[in-house]
Amino acid sequence: MAEGGDVEWELSKENIQPLRRGRAISALHQALTQQQDGLSSVINQQRQAFESELRMYEGDDPLDVWDRYIKWTEQTFPQGGKESNLTTLLERAVTRFTEEKKYHNDPRYVDLWIKFAESCPEPLDIYRYMQAQGIGMTQASLYIAWSEEYENQGNFHKADLVYQEGFKKCAEPHDKLLQFHKSLQARVSRQVMMEVEDDDSDEEPKQPERVSLVDLKYRGKKKAIALVNRTGPAIRSVSGGLQSRGAPVLGNASNTRLMIFDESKAPTAGPSEPRLEPWMAPPTSRAKENEKRPEKWCDVKKSKFGHTVMAPPPSKPTFQPFVDESDQPPTMTPCKINPAVNTVLSARKPCREGTPLKRLQEHHLQQKEAELGKSQEQSMYCKDLLLSGATEFCFEELRAERYFKKIAQDTQEVSGQKDHSGSSAAK
Amino acid sequence: SSGKSTNHIMTGSNEYKLNQGPEDSISAVKFSPSTAQFLLVSSWDCTVRLYDVGGNTMRMKYQHTAPVLDCAFYDPTHSWSGGLDAQLKTHDLNTDQDTIVGTHDAPIRCVEYCPEVNVMVTGSWDRSVRLWDPRTPCNAGTFTQPEKVYTLSVAGDRLIVGTAGRRVLVWDLRNMGYVQQRRESSLKYQTRCIRAFPNKQGYVLSSIEGRVAVEYLDPSQEVQKKKYAFKCHRLKEEGIEHVYPVNAISFHSVHNTFATGGSDGFVNIWDPFNKKRLCQFHRYPTSIASLAFNNDGTMLAIASSYMHEKGDISHPEDAIFIRQVTDAETKPK
Repeated sequence: MAEGGDVEWELSKENIQPLRRGRAISALHQALTQQQDGLSSVINQQRQAFESELRMYEGDDPLDVWDRYIKWTEQTFPQGGKESNLTTLLERAVTRFTEEKKYHNDPRYVDLWIKFAESCPEPLDIYRYMQAQGIGMTQASLYIAWSEEYENQGNFHKADLVYQEGFKKCAEPHDKLLQFHKSLQARVSRQVMMEVEDDDSDEEPKQPERVSLVDLKYRGKKKAIALVNRTGPAIRSVSGGLQSRGAPVLGNASNTRLMIFDESKAPTAGPSEPRLEPWMAPPTSRAKENEKRPEKWCDVKKSKFGHTVMAPPPSKPTFQPFVDESDQPPTMTPCKINPAVNTVLSARKPCREGTPLKRLQEHHLQQKEAELGKSQEQSMYCKDLLLSGATEFCFEELRAERYFKKIAQDTQEVSGQKDHSGSSAAK
Repeated sequence: SSGKSTNHIMTGSNEYKLNQGPEDSISAVKFSPSTAQFLLVSSWDCTVRLYDVGGNTMRMKYQHTAPVLDCAFYDPTHSWSGGLDAQLKTHDLNTDQDTIVGTHDAPIRCVEYCPEVNVMVTGSWDRSVRLWDPRTPCNAGTFTQPEKVYTLSVAGDRLIVGTAGRRVLVWDLRNMGYVQQRRESSLKYQTRCIRAFPNKQGYVLSSIEGRVAVEYLDPSQEVQKKKYAFKCHRLKEEGIEHVYPVNAISFHSVHNTFATGGSDGFVNIWDPFNKKRLCQFHRYPTSIASLAFNNDGTMLAIASSYMHEKGDISHPEDAIFIRQVTDAETKPK
């Protein structure tokens, strides 16, 4: 059993999304074995159980169910993805409790917000929205995540200001905030030292460089071979060493000189601290897998006349391509794709899309309108209950859940009575 | 109650209430395929009842271990039913004999019979459709659906399945190897009911927010252009439009017109060809949970029964009304 699990783990490491708090190895084994052939009925049943608990919950801490549901989803779907519904779930959860002041500084709720922000294309917008709504203002974890986001983008100045804001708000736990702030400062000072060292880079590196997947180039007077750059925003070495470079260098600039962040030259155009402002312009589209951001076509060069040079369309071959006689298409495919049928499929409604933040605001607005009785339409059923989870329920399902709950209670009572009568008889 | 003891309570000259109705909400009413005399009724009181409509008496009833969500006639003497206990039962109405045919992994939501292929079809919240050979009787295949099955209907040898997440799947019952068509509901909200045209060319789909769509199976662009949707079962009160779920659809077998029933308690009859409402009956005491025309379209069974749309609150008594309908009410003009 354990061996089988080990094999699963060895074979699918690359499909496992890292979690801040790590993963339970037993849950991971289970998830990987279960998911070999599609969604098992066990997973469907567990999900249905969570979905019904969300709707049936009557206690005074509804966030608890959401928290457990989301943690279960993270553990059960190690590879994330559409099947897990995690993004929808996070969005529903944070939207659900925006009006509940008692949760605004609840560490669990703030954690959900941070996870939600991290799944969005523009986490900073979400953090600013949280600030505007007063969510997580006394939670150190918000400031840490927020600052890390700035740091990833190379803006150390703002990363530091976020910590200052956190100290001003007396965010808890104070020690943790202090510790993270110190390590940020340490990283920044290392960057500065690096810069100083770079200036007199006659000497060879003192420590062995970490090799990355980049060509090694000549640098410096001695033409010593040294690591030149590492791309991407995620260059942050926590474990000492003076070699890590700070500001990310984008694009194919591998042979250009490094841009190194200089605190003293930091842009002063922006406000000196994160402003308390309502979120203004809509950020870019919703976090979707395999979505490519519009970017420069770096390889396309403009001609003198301002037209792009296009490769001429390939001329039609003058010969007949050889087709193997035995090469016949498979007789049956799992799903017949009939081009005529495709026209029936209606395109996904554009209204469903839009950014997470925009939807949050719309929800906010709708709630206000409903309070004022402004809305022109009223749905004559328990709409909130049907739609509150990640998947929808129908009336019959809700009623069935109530029925099963009642049956379970009744049998418990009966067995309780039996126990009672049994014990009294024993007396 | 006192109402049940007296015979033929007329709510109009052409309508009466059935005696000995179920003791809890009604989930489905289905007329016998061959005669207008018998009506099958499944209920949340865990029973399936057979009524003699002409004599206004209950002929028999049988029990499930949990509420029953749907029932269907296989032939005039055999009923099939399923519900929250996830068990599929067939009952011999002559000998009063029960047989458990099989089970799903979750409650069974729909039970239908396909005469063309001679197969019983069940849909369940376990995200599957199962076929059953009614002669043996035994399971004849399990077919996974992308979501929980909420409604299904048979059009000739084709099966139209409506699931959660507003998906619609069209299967060929003669070749269940693949899904013939995958569609998305053209309505924005949850699918409540799908019923196929008796002429087998399309289906009508109703949603939880006062809207009905008429769709065609032929994928050609020319035919697809004819599809449309319209608003209904909405009441304007004090400047606010109250939007009700449309729970029930039943087709008139001769005229291809159809009746819809909503949680507003109204029953409307529609002419899908001229896109017109033919008539609206009086308001029934509570939500319309199920509707059924008889085989020749002279009678309509109307189940007026609260469906817990707004939770477990007090509500008018559940009842089944039998209404004589005329050509004036059901024939396209």
